[in-house]
Amino acid sequence: MGEAGDPKMRRWAAATLTVAVSLMLVAGCGKKAAPKNVLVFWQFSPITAIQPVIDRFEAANPGVDVQVEQLTWQSGREKIVAAIAAGRPPDLCELGSTFLPGLVADSTLVDLTDRVADMRPALFGWDVASYRGRAYAIPWMVGTRALFVNDLLVKRAGLDSGARIQTWADLRKTVQTIAERVPDARGFGMNTGEREILFKKFMPFAWGNGGNILDSTLTRSVMGSPQNVEALRFYLSLKPYSLLDRQEMHEQAFTSGRIGVVISGPWLIRKLAQEAPKIHYSIQLMPQPALNRGTHASFAGAEVLGIFRGSKRQAAALELARFLVQPENTMPVYIATGNAFPAATAAGLDTYFNRHHQESRFLDQLPTAVAPPLHPKWVEIEEIVNGELEEAIYGRKTPEAALQSADARIDAVLAAKP
Amino acid sequence: MRGRRAGALGLAPWGLFFAVFGIFPLAYALALSFLAYNPLRPDLVRWVGFDNYARALTSPSFWHALRTTVLFVVGTLPVTLTLAYVVSGLLASVRRGQGFFRAAIFFPATLSMVVISLVFKSLYAEEGLLNGWLAAASLGRVHWLQDPVLALPSIMLMDVWASVGYYAILILAARKTLPDEQLEAARLEGLSRLQVERRIVLPHVRPVLLFVVLLNTIRSFQIFIEVFVLTRGGPLESTLTLVYHLYERAFYHFEMGYASALAYLLLLLVGVILIVQRRMLGGDPADAPA
Repeated sequence: MGEAGDPKMRRWAAATLTVAVSLMLVAGCGKKAAPKNVLVFWQFSPITAIQPVIDRFEAANPGVDVQVEQLTWQSGREKIVAAIAAGRPPDLCELGSTFLPGLVADSTLVDLTDRVADMRPALFGWDVASYRGRAYAIPWMVGTRALFVNDLLVKRAGLDSGARIQTWADLRKTVQTIAERVPDARGFGMNTGEREILFKKFMPFAWGNGGNILDSTLTRSVMGSPQNVEALRFYLSLKPYSLLDRQEMHEQAFTSGRIGVVISGPWLIRKLAQEAPKIHYSIQLMPQPALNRGTHASFAGAEVLGIFRGSKRQAAALELARFLVQPENTMPVYIATGNAFPAATAAGLDTYFNRHHQESRFLDQLPTAVAPPLHPKWVEIEEIVNGELEEAIYGRKTPEAALQSADARIDAVLAAKP
Repeated sequence: MRGRRAGALGLAPWGLFFAVFGIFPLAYALALSFLAYNPLRPDLVRWVGFDNYARALTSPSFWHALRTTVLFVVGTLPVTLTLAYVVSGLLASVRRGQGFFRAAIFFPATLSMVVISLVFKSLYAEEGLLNGWLAAASLGRVHWLQDPVLALPSIMLMDVWASVGYYAILILAARKTLPDEQLEAARLEGLSRLQVERRIVLPHVRPVLLFVVLLNTIRSFQIFIEVFVLTRGGPLESTLTLVYHLYERAFYHFEMGYASALAYLLLLLVGVILIVQRRMLGGDPADAPA
């Protein structure tokens, strides 16, 4: 009290305060710059992969400050839902194609149809981003799966390692022979214990055989079709020669040379290069039912860029999306991550693929890859398909019973009011 | 009066924290449980009264998830409690290196359940360490997490491993409060080791055992991380527990109201079970020896 009450001290304190405030004001004025347009972008790639691209965008757009955030596949969905619920969604967001239908159904995404018409010829994957002819997102990356074949195990089984697996019969013969003739090796990787991805592994056989999940009007299930039943019978015929485990374990077994054939994506190429550089393998198209019928269908997924209705900077977000999908901007992200290919059609011509033949096999697979239907009730439909496939794989139901049950349950979901 | 005010002031930060992160979410979830609420369409929110509760109680998925959860609790609680008690007895009787053994037993409690689950995911893999040992012993492979019959017991086994150490240390602490003279007198009376355990040690640590039972019951009913990391409710929904079911409804189907009703049914269930447990076992965990 004594010191504070001292008039000399009070004068000194007042002078100091005045100087400090003046300095702060001067500093503040001096640093004041034009306010930047802050754009929030959420995506799943490592920041180190995307940041150089963002830096280029910012350099080309000096008034824009892009705040990039990396989501994880484990919790990204929850984070996006929470942000939308809180009314503070990012301006631009990378979305998985299986997450998109629910967002479209709930009208949370901006209808971009009229604003992206000029981009259509330049990008693959519009079917994944569109519902009833309207585009609700822009394809950024597209992914598919193909067969990884351990050529050494094929040779050890007494088969011609140079021969391609073209048909279902070829696939069965290969996996059966490996399982029977190579000690401690399994022929094929059949997914179990993770029902959420079962349809991605089975449906390629059904699609290749002319089957589907819904009819062309998306109003009726066709899961019980003869084509699907035949495909499921074939798929289950591989079970005795298969390693029944999760995808991660299939890939681990393939890396250590203990499994002949697995269905996987381009990420496995990098894993093999790092962990098993000496392994002899080939990447082949998914088999077709027979040489004279069907297609080499595979699963097609996509990473799309969506703009939420809650965004206050939709025009700037669209500009960023347009920039990101350019081949020269997607290729660096693909090269850094190796998960999914650029949706830009021109990216396929990049010289990178001339030097990386294994990866280019996926580009050959893409034209016959099929995306699941973008339906507002896809989450329920997917759950039913996976559940019934799991029943069949575990032998609880015959292929016919499982697929007919799927038919009835999906039709009930489609008939139910929202 | 001044002391009371100082006490209230001291408690204020905790009180504020509890109000914001405890009371408010509880009340908010209760309100949500009476609504049809999709977080993506907040404009369509509507009052449905007890419909969410009625839907849960008539849903086969709810009963299946509840059955799985109860199986998990019933399967892990007695085993964990018995093992923790036995381990605490062994630790109490160790003369040399007690610190090391205590630390070793307690170690799993210091790990995140995600880390533990990831380690067990590798152990349980078809080509994992456990099957490697079985193969070395010329035994067949076991589909730990792929077999619908074995998946839940496999998770139970992991959970018991992860929690025994923590509870053993709690029981050991209660044991340590027992005066040596009392134990010595009992031995002089000619009581066998088993009799000492039954007549002296067990009654003494009973409040702590009750605390362990209550704590483990609550934790077991909340099982989620293990299922999320290891099985995602499969295979064939054999590990679909109540909290995982709730999570799926909330974040895959965006049915926040229904998921909140499920959460409140779980709260009610656990509350009733805890009251019954307390009545049956007697005592008050608050009476645990300090």
